[in-house]
Amino acid sequence: MRRRLAQEPESTEINVSPLIDLVFILLIFFIVATSFVNEVGITPKHKDTASSSANLEEPLAFDLPASGQLLQDGSVIGLEQIAPLVRSRSTEKKPSVLVRVSPGARAGLATQVMDQAMLGGAQAVKLSPLAQ
Amino acid sequence: MKRRNRQLESNESDAINVSPLIDVVFILLIFFIVSATFVTLPGIEVTRPQAVTGKALEKNAVIFALSGENEIKYAGSTVQMEEIPTLVEQASKDRGKPVVIQVDRWADASILAKIVAQARKKSSEVSIATRKPRA
Repeated sequence: MRRRLAQEPESTEINVSPLIDLVFILLIFFIVATSFVNEVGITPKHKDTASSSANLEEPLAFDLPASGQLLQDGSVIGLEQIAPLVRSRSTEKKPSVLVRVSPGARAGLATQVMDQAMLGGAQAVKLSPLAQ
Repeated sequence: MKRRNRQLESNESDAINVSPLIDVVFILLIFFIVSATFVTLPGIEVTRPQAVTGKALEKNAVIFALSGENEIKYAGSTVQMEEIPTLVEQASKDRGKPVVIQVDRWADASILAKIVAQARKKSSEVSIATRKPRA
């Protein structure tokens, strides 16, 4: 009788080992499945056709020919000149910028042009492909 | 009789108390469940162009990649330009997920412009992945 009483408290304890096993498996699954993508990037925003026609102001256009140069209004400029150009355009409202790329131009350069234009305070930056 | 009782007691105290372990593991589990965002990665690594105005982008995005060989990658396979709007629509499931394009700096810019235009048909926010220039 006495022996039975001594055993009883032990047998009423819940066995947590399967719970721990299950939780560990879930934990490992979520650790493996989690991909920490911390992407940094630029988001060139532009208004679509309907609203841009209301905007009478001509966008500031930059051309990227296949030669790898950067043209603005027919003359070759450097990357560092973009931001001041955009800033000088912003009279009363923030200017919109159009980047025209020819096939063969480098995406890295196009991205840098958009980056510099946004640095200069451009409101809308549009990337448009030119036909061959 | 007395000796026996003592043995029983020492046996009980020998068992390791696992409750703090379970607590910690549960907290870790909850952290990983909450932070888990299941994004499909394009499956290639590109050299991102540098940009100073780059901001942290939404983690839960539809990610495309444009390789240096001008191939459009999505979820590990090469896709065609025309498939992009369909893929964006399928992936975002009416929740309006943003689109992120990982572009190689040596890729063709006109293809990038076309991808942006295609993705814009279905998503209001299309970003280009960049990296911070080293100071």
